Amino acid sequence: MTNRVFMLPLWIRLWHWSNALAIIVLAVTGVSLHFSNPDLPLVEFSLAARIHNVAGVCLAGLYAVFVIGNIVTGNWWQYVPKPPGIIGRCLTQMQYYGAGIFKGEKEPFPPTPEVNFNALQAVTYWSIMYLVLPVVIVTGLVFLYPQFAPDRLFGLDGLLPIALIHYLGAAVIVLFAVSHIYLGTMGPKVSSLFKMMITGWYEH
Amino acid sequence: MFANFKNKLCGVVALLALLATATVFADDPPPTPEELVKIKAANGECLTCHSEAGLKKPPKEGLDLKKLRHYLVDLDTYTASDHGQMACSKCHGDGYDKHPHDAKAKEGLSECQDCHARKAMRIERQFDKSVHAENLSDSFTCTTCHDAHVMTLASKLRDPHKIVAQDNKICLDCHDSDLAFAKIAPEKKKRPPIDDIHSWLPNTRLHWQAVRCIECHTPAEDKLSLSHEIQNKDKAEKKCATCHSANTSLNARLYRHLAKEEQNKYGFLNSVILSNSYVVGATRNPSLDWIVIGLFVATVVGVIGHGLVRIITTRMRRSKNHD
Repeated sequence: MTNRVFMLPLWIRLWHWSNALAIIVLAVTGVSLHFSNPDLPLVEFSLAARIHNVAGVCLAGLYAVFVIGNIVTGNWWQYVPKPPGIIGRCLTQMQYYGAGIFKGEKEPFPPTPEVNFNALQAVTYWSIMYLVLPVVIVTGLVFLYPQFAPDRLFGLDGLLPIALIHYLGAAVIVLFAVSHIYLGTMGPKVSSLFKMMITGWYEH
Repeated sequence: MFANFKNKLCGVVALLALLATATVFADDPPPTPEELVKIKAANGECLTCHSEAGLKKPPKEGLDLKKLRHYLVDLDTYTASDHGQMACSKCHGDGYDKHPHDAKAKEGLSECQDCHARKAMRIERQFDKSVHAENLSDSFTCTTCHDAHVMTLASKLRDPHKIVAQDNKICLDCHDSDLAFAKIAPEKKKRPPIDDIHSWLPNTRLHWQAVRCIECHTPAEDKLSLSHEIQNKDKAEKKCATCHSANTSLNARLYRHLAKEEQNKYGFLNSVILSNSYVVGATRNPSLDWIVIGLFVATVVGVIGHGLVRIITTRMRRSKNHD
């Protein structure tokens, strides 16, 4: 018999999927803009620029929803990597991903309503959500209003450092997204965690 | 018959002589310091009236100040311009040497092609196809855009910001002013609001500070200089990627005079452009791109590999349990 436990309220699920959609749109249009090629356009440049701008503003709005929602509901605590023993728990988790899972071992720290994330998830999610994403959003907003960028820096256009940080930050998020989607298959069943992100119920 | 041939020959000789003098004139070596002193002194006489100072303190009574206001020359701007070492009298010849100037003095004013014959011939062919020739052929001349007291060649200015400021001012003086536009536009032709018709262009005004109107509104055919075939919106460049790509057309346009300079500073493509403007798609760093692409490929391959090992080990376990 399957046990199930309610894990994720509606606002988190709605935020998560809207955020995912915005990031996918931003990644595709961002790649198209950065590697712009008139002979081989992924998305036509001016269209990509418009979509990227709209999706970027949406992402900034969604981030505000995420921060406010986390403060109001107390969900922010889930993201805080909690010592003591955090390094040990991270290593156990890595050992599970690297070897244990192939031997059919059980997930060492399965999600519970009290502790949604294992230590590795908490560290990664915290870094992405409170470090990388805000940087990408702020640099993106400066990109949207380049008159606020420094005029010149090291003899080059002052927008360059903004552009570089935005690009590298976005690349980190894309790499995270690829791993994140794959790690979503690591529930009791391949579909369990995806189902949980849709229904809110964790089946185990 | 012989007389006719002689006339024709004289005509050809006269034309060649004119062309020869004209070319030599445009390519004349700069004046010597002694000549320059004389030129400055002579020009100073003209500027006693034709300057802000002259307007404020007219050197003589009875001047038509309202008229004079339209014929002022800023000495610093003029001196820095292409014609800045020339005497006013080179162009303003007969009839200008006394005051009041002759009523017909303007008719004797030198025209651009008098000195720039070869260039003018090339430019005229381009201009004839331009939207200005189509709509305003009679009233539109070189001086409608190019003020000989102000203009400096882009190759001399070199600084893209200065080139952009100079050239876009020419376009925007008319296309961003109802008053100036109405002065030369055909009757009933209303000025299209410049911001509205460019609303598709992100950060429109910032684009105009970084690149010239003519980057998009002229064809990229002429190798010697930018074409004078100013095109309207139907023909103008609308593909952003023409500039926003590794092989950016800006190198053949705004940055043509700097294109031979360092193009890979700090490993960035088109780093000459990057000195002035970060252009998405054009000023990227290929080494950094390869690192990012490599990490992406490694992540995808890692994820697929991990998944495959999971599938294989799960099957192996299942078959083992089955046995």
